[in-house]
Amino acid sequence: MEVRRLETQYPIPRREVYRYLGLRKQTPDPPLQELIEECITELYRVAVPKYLYKIFPIQIDAEHNRLDFGFMQVPSVNLTRNLRDCEKAAVMAATLGADVDRLMHRYEVTTAAKSVILQAAAAALVESVCDVCQEEIGQIALGEGYGIRPRFSPGYGDFSISFQKPLIDTLQTAKRMGLTLTESYMMVPSKSVTAVIGFSRNHTVCHKEGCEVCTLTDCIYRR
Amino acid sequence: MLFFDGGMGSILQEQGLKAGELPEVWNLTHGESITQIAYDYYKAGADVANTNTFGANRLKFPEGGEHSLEEIIGAAVEHVKEAVRRIHEEEPDRDCYIALDIGPTGKLLKPMGDLDFEDAVRIFADVVRIGSRLGVDLILIETMSDLYEMKAAVLAAKENCDLPIFATAIFGENGKLLTGGTPETVVATMESLGVTALGVNCGLGPDLMKPMVDQLLEYASIPVIVNPNAGLPRSEGGKTVYDVGPKEFVDDMIGIAEAGAWGLGGCCGTTPAHIAELVNRCKDIKPKPIVEKNRSVICSYSKSVTLGKRPVLVGERINPTGKSRFKQALRDNNMEYILQEGLTQEEKGAHVLDVNVGLPGIDETAMLTAAVTQLQSILDLPLQIDTSSAEAMESALRRYNGKPLINSVNGKQESMDMIFPLVQKYGGVVVALLLDEAGIPETADGRIAIARKLLAEGAKYGLTIRDFVFDGLAMTVSSDTEAAIATLETIRRIRDELHGCSILGVSNISFGLPRRDIINASFFGMALHNGLSAAIMNPSSDAMMQAYDAYLTLSGQDENCQSFTAKYAGTSAPVYNAAPGTSGGTAPAQAAAGGSRTLGECIERGLKESAEEVTEELLKTRDSLDIINEEMIPALDKVGKGFEKGTVFLPQLLMSADAAKAAFAVIRKILNASGKGNEEKKGAIILATVKGDIHDIGKNIVKVLLENYGYDVIDLGKDVPPELIVETAIDRNIQLVGLSALMTTTVVSMEETIKQLHAHKPDTKIVVGGAVLTQEYADEIGADCYAKDAMATVRYAESIFV
Repeated sequence: MEVRRLETQYPIPRREVYRYLGLRKQTPDPPLQELIEECITELYRVAVPKYLYKIFPIQIDAEHNRLDFGFMQVPSVNLTRNLRDCEKAAVMAATLGADVDRLMHRYEVTTAAKSVILQAAAAALVESVCDVCQEEIGQIALGEGYGIRPRFSPGYGDFSISFQKPLIDTLQTAKRMGLTLTESYMMVPSKSVTAVIGFSRNHTVCHKEGCEVCTLTDCIYRR
Repeated sequence: MLFFDGGMGSILQEQGLKAGELPEVWNLTHGESITQIAYDYYKAGADVANTNTFGANRLKFPEGGEHSLEEIIGAAVEHVKEAVRRIHEEEPDRDCYIALDIGPTGKLLKPMGDLDFEDAVRIFADVVRIGSRLGVDLILIETMSDLYEMKAAVLAAKENCDLPIFATAIFGENGKLLTGGTPETVVATMESLGVTALGVNCGLGPDLMKPMVDQLLEYASIPVIVNPNAGLPRSEGGKTVYDVGPKEFVDDMIGIAEAGAWGLGGCCGTTPAHIAELVNRCKDIKPKPIVEKNRSVICSYSKSVTLGKRPVLVGERINPTGKSRFKQALRDNNMEYILQEGLTQEEKGAHVLDVNVGLPGIDETAMLTAAVTQLQSILDLPLQIDTSSAEAMESALRRYNGKPLINSVNGKQESMDMIFPLVQKYGGVVVALLLDEAGIPETADGRIAIARKLLAEGAKYGLTIRDFVFDGLAMTVSSDTEAAIATLETIRRIRDELHGCSILGVSNISFGLPRRDIINASFFGMALHNGLSAAIMNPSSDAMMQAYDAYLTLSGQDENCQSFTAKYAGTSAPVYNAAPGTSGGTAPAQAAAGGSRTLGECIERGLKESAEEVTEELLKTRDSLDIINEEMIPALDKVGKGFEKGTVFLPQLLMSADAAKAAFAVIRKILNASGKGNEEKKGAIILATVKGDIHDIGKNIVKVLLENYGYDVIDLGKDVPPELIVETAIDRNIQLVGLSALMTTTVVSMEETIKQLHAHKPDTKIVVGGAVLTQEYADEIGADCYAKDAMATVRYAESIFV
């Protein structure tokens, strides 16, 4: 029952899983497809998706490409561009919980193929959780007369990964969702995302996001 | 009934604490506010007020930082003391207690996170040492969302002060801790560590907390504390607010008090007004007496097993005795063998796993501790820690996440002196062998007498019958025909006279006899009928599992015989004494269970089970080297080339690799059984995920492939310091090292590792891979080769070992 509910609430787009598996635009053959579906079912059984967000007024110093969120000051050309004209921003975090890591680790010992497929499926699932969170934030923004920008995560472009720290601290993710950071800013549980989403009065929102704006053009996962 | 204070952080926010500002700094900058809050809570009727030290630890206040930890904690305690002084001026007879408040570190412990267990203990120990000297009355460990970290905190408190320790955890709406703990595992672990009181705080309001409280009360034999939030947090204009007012809060708290909680207070969002209302309306509720539950429970972080109810199966396979491959794996530091054994036994139905890695010539302490930690990172069965070394036992007990079975103590004074202090300190249910200085008594009378002696001596360490499981000792019936009877009577009397739990290593009974399976299974059934609580056995033995299933059915523990029917309907009994040669043997090799596929095809298509079956058939007619060279290697090569061309994808490559690995395992088993020893290896390669990096899937994929290609992989794991890699490379004269790093932040340690390898072992080649690496990056940090994927590493290895 719980699995059914999660499937509906946070669907996993199969083409995303295939893309993460390096299949590009091809469809997997039946045995592989069967294994992928098996992994997705197991994933839904152990995943405990959670998300959190908070909305802050922000100050933008466009000339020096600096942003002030109150709890953190970020120098970043890319993020300044992403948040241009924004008056507020939501910071968000999403995670699938610790048991997903345990399951992946377990298959690393027994069935390497499944551990790789789980990685891909979990990556797609956590994005799906982010989509739901973003949708909710979008509704709040709309209610206040704002449109939202595509989510932007630390570690992306010149938005330093070290900003994971103030971000998860301000959301109290350790206590509220079990999301912690290592010394090298890796998130634990590993299938987790943090991001910033801008609120702008300017409704002609640019919807280009993800791969299309990335500079790593030879990436095998590129859409 | 003891009343605790309410929220601290939420009040400070109200008073202007900014997002990102550390509440503990207010001890120095807003001292009067902190004193006033404590005063208000005492005034409202709280017996206990907490110091403002929730996040006061070395991670947030490092040495040499702006504020010292000593300064922060010192001020925090002083403010509450000042509040007590003011109360005493008004009400000289009031009892006001000061709790040194300790919250979580905000980091996740290894193996999942990067904080070492002992580092966590040190972080908490600092706080306890500083705070306990200043005259607090108790230690309150709270808001713990991870049982393992909670254990580290309790140990730190036990080792550094003599104050009462209260420990409360934060549960989610699903009734679990964020890392999977349950009320039952929290109670089992905390009680066995000897805390004075335990409970739940934060996260939820009293209404949603009630089900967890009911469970804690059902299991706990010590006082239970309940400190809920004023409802669920809600965000309002960037601020966190709580909606449940004092009256509504206390409406729900009354039910909790009546259910039997002894400590009541509040957490986030609750105020002195909440506490005043709480004290006012609950102070006259007479607390329910605390009853000793006498449960013999062991647990992992998330799963508990109760002894003395449905008989428990303890898998015995993680033990090197008589297993040459296991011994070799231990000498090679190969953890995978142990993990596989663990997973297999879990699948076969074991409830607990015995872990014994004793072998002369290895570092048993390090190996046992590593085995326990790694098993716990992939499965959640409770473990039975089995060693005769006190040092190894202590180290493994310390690191164990949960409450283990401890194997074992016996009636010798020396053994009791060694083991009981460990049980007392770290907690656990101890397996007690009923023998002593005079040997093993032949009669049940003699064995029961030793059990009583163990209980009496254990009592000196605070241990009671629930902390023991007595081993009735199965002796070989072939050397003494009365042996089984004595054991069975001992088991029965442990139950009937001592009201305790029992355990047996069942298969000892049949040493020296033919068809040991027949004797073992019958004896197992008899022992169960005499009240055996747990058996140390091989869950892969069909005969034993059948005896167990039959017993459950016959003793009324399988409702409507459902489980038995589900498992055995449609199966048939094996036929004994069949003429030799009638099963298999003559059929053509590939026509076996794998359908009409050849082994090569099974591997190409990634069919694991079929690959195993076909290999078993092939081995009847062909030489193992032939099979490897003519069937397996060509198939692996075809798949590998397909991957390189882009016609085969990573999951398919790995499905093939898994199938080949399974086939290799079959071959190795046969080689070992025939005494031909190990197959030739092409060369040894070190693989490691570099320091600071805790994601090792990429490295593990490379490992699977390299092993299939015949290389001996020395897997050093993840988060590996450069020094260990260099040391191992020198010790074993390694020609090739493979390093993996996932993040830009950890490529730095990859570079450092390469630098050190070049300096100390210049002839070793280094291949690197990982998400953020590129050819340019690899060149820049001085690697000899950049592998863009797993096959690239195989190809590079082939070019090195020619």
